[in-house]
Amino acid sequence: MTETDFLSLSPFLILALAPIIIMIVISIYRNYEVVFGFSVLSIVAAIVSIVFILPVIPHSIAPLFLVDRYSLFFITIILISALLVIFLSYDYLKQLDGIREEYYIILFTSTLGASLLAVANHFILFFLGIETLTLSLYILIAFEKTKDSSIEAGIKYLVLASVSSAFLLFGMGLIYITFGSMQFSVLEIAIRHLNQLPLLFIFGVGMMLVGIGFKLALVPFHMWTPDVYQGAPAPVSSYIATVSKGAVMAVFIRFFFNIRGFDNQSIFIVISGIAVLSMFVGNLLAIQQKNIKRLLAYSSIANMGYLIIILLTGSDKGIQAAIFYLITYFITTIGAFGVISLLSTKELEAENIEEYRGLFWKKPWIAIVMTFCLLSLAGIPITAGFIAKFYLILEGMKAGLWILIFSMIINSVIGLYYYLRVITSMFSVANENLLPSVSVLGKVTLAFVTISILVLGVYPGWLIDFIVKYAIL
Amino acid sequence: MLSVPVETQILFAGILFFLGMIGLLVRRNLVFMLMSIEIMFNSAGLVFIIAARHWNQPDGQVMFIFILSVTAVEVAIGLALILQVYHHFKTLDVDAIHKLKDE
Repeated sequence: MTETDFLSLSPFLILALAPIIIMIVISIYRNYEVVFGFSVLSIVAAIVSIVFILPVIPHSIAPLFLVDRYSLFFITIILISALLVIFLSYDYLKQLDGIREEYYIILFTSTLGASLLAVANHFILFFLGIETLTLSLYILIAFEKTKDSSIEAGIKYLVLASVSSAFLLFGMGLIYITFGSMQFSVLEIAIRHLNQLPLLFIFGVGMMLVGIGFKLALVPFHMWTPDVYQGAPAPVSSYIATVSKGAVMAVFIRFFFNIRGFDNQSIFIVISGIAVLSMFVGNLLAIQQKNIKRLLAYSSIANMGYLIIILLTGSDKGIQAAIFYLITYFITTIGAFGVISLLSTKELEAENIEEYRGLFWKKPWIAIVMTFCLLSLAGIPITAGFIAKFYLILEGMKAGLWILIFSMIINSVIGLYYYLRVITSMFSVANENLLPSVSVLGKVTLAFVTISILVLGVYPGWLIDFIVKYAIL
Repeated sequence: MLSVPVETQILFAGILFFLGMIGLLVRRNLVFMLMSIEIMFNSAGLVFIIAARHWNQPDGQVMFIFILSVTAVEVAIGLALILQVYHHFKTLDVDAIHKLKDE
């Protein structure tokens, strides 16, 4: 390996080194604040190291890695989301009894897996990245091991995610057996000269779609989502909804565009069907939820349904719209789950909508943050969510995906209903339950999230320019 | 040497995968479900071995070693979680573990 190779892998080296150092530190001197501070520093170091890689890209370390602008962009998004999740975890974990420093070790390994997915150019790295991510998630979900719900969510996720990994792996094997290569770029060249794709290959892509559909929680592979979101600690739920799905989306977009899946009729129909089903099932099931974590889980199913529309546009502009959508979705989801985790206590997770009744009269700022997050998820103007949806619809219309766009518009209306239900309950007359006080760190994080939502909603031009300039496949 | 066509070999791996899936759907005990998942993983690994033999490449066998190590980790975490499940619910029957559900 050359010096450039090491330089371009520096974010991963930092992410891999940090948990080892934390482990050694814990074995010598166990202190929650020290571990937290070191985790924040390491993530910041990893983000800064990306600046130094910029001059040497695109750099390919054959055959596994491909470090280009697209992957660096995704790594940055993943690392910033992980940083926000770490900030929100601080208070949530501090109040727990017993072991809690290890949380940050596992968070690092899963972030490492997620960012490896962004540079994957080979099935081996694809598989290893996805497994590093999900294996760490099993532990994170079941982290509150005194709670029945946490353990139950952990075992449910373990069984279903392993099955989906097996499907993914079998699909990869079938593709490898047809073309004799596991490298995305080689597959692209092999496919370009074919008039018709071999049946075994389409079968393989289908099985991979099952695996990826599980990880992205698309209908009909969405069953685990509400249970896991409800059972997992609130910061972990936000981590699954953002980092895990974003990373899988990053590698899926790259793979799908390399094999030109949108050109194949049967794959096109299957993905359209999954998209429409995800939107309707996600939104219709969200309507009757009384638990806000489950509500957000169903809303994430619907959001992923909107997002995979862009796979079918088959254009660079579509990818850019998807990245913009992902960024706004990340910010709003982290904000919403952040409010939940800051309002939770050791005994009680603030997850019933009933507990949010009259929140505005008790904690006006927190209620305003939650309102903006929900409005952004619903896609109301002046929030970031509106611009993101508008951008997505625009690119979809350019590609002529009329059925998908219409069902997306119908679903935005359905979505508005259940988001507004939470908001009206926050502004109605207060009841008598006591809420925990929120720390400065939590307030700063939520303020950052709210300001980003408003800035991106009022003045999104700079980010779109940035994406157009840097996030090209 | 007698050679078996690739299609038959893939079919064999497919049957193995299917058997694993049936096991997963029929068995209600978590330990057996974990074993069924292992069968599914190993049948996927078999496809890679077949492909490596078919194309005369080492890549597939490298992949198989990765699969082996990942499944080992998977089982380690799985068994630890199963112990916790038994601790909390006093049973390993998945049908008895249903606190999280739609109201």
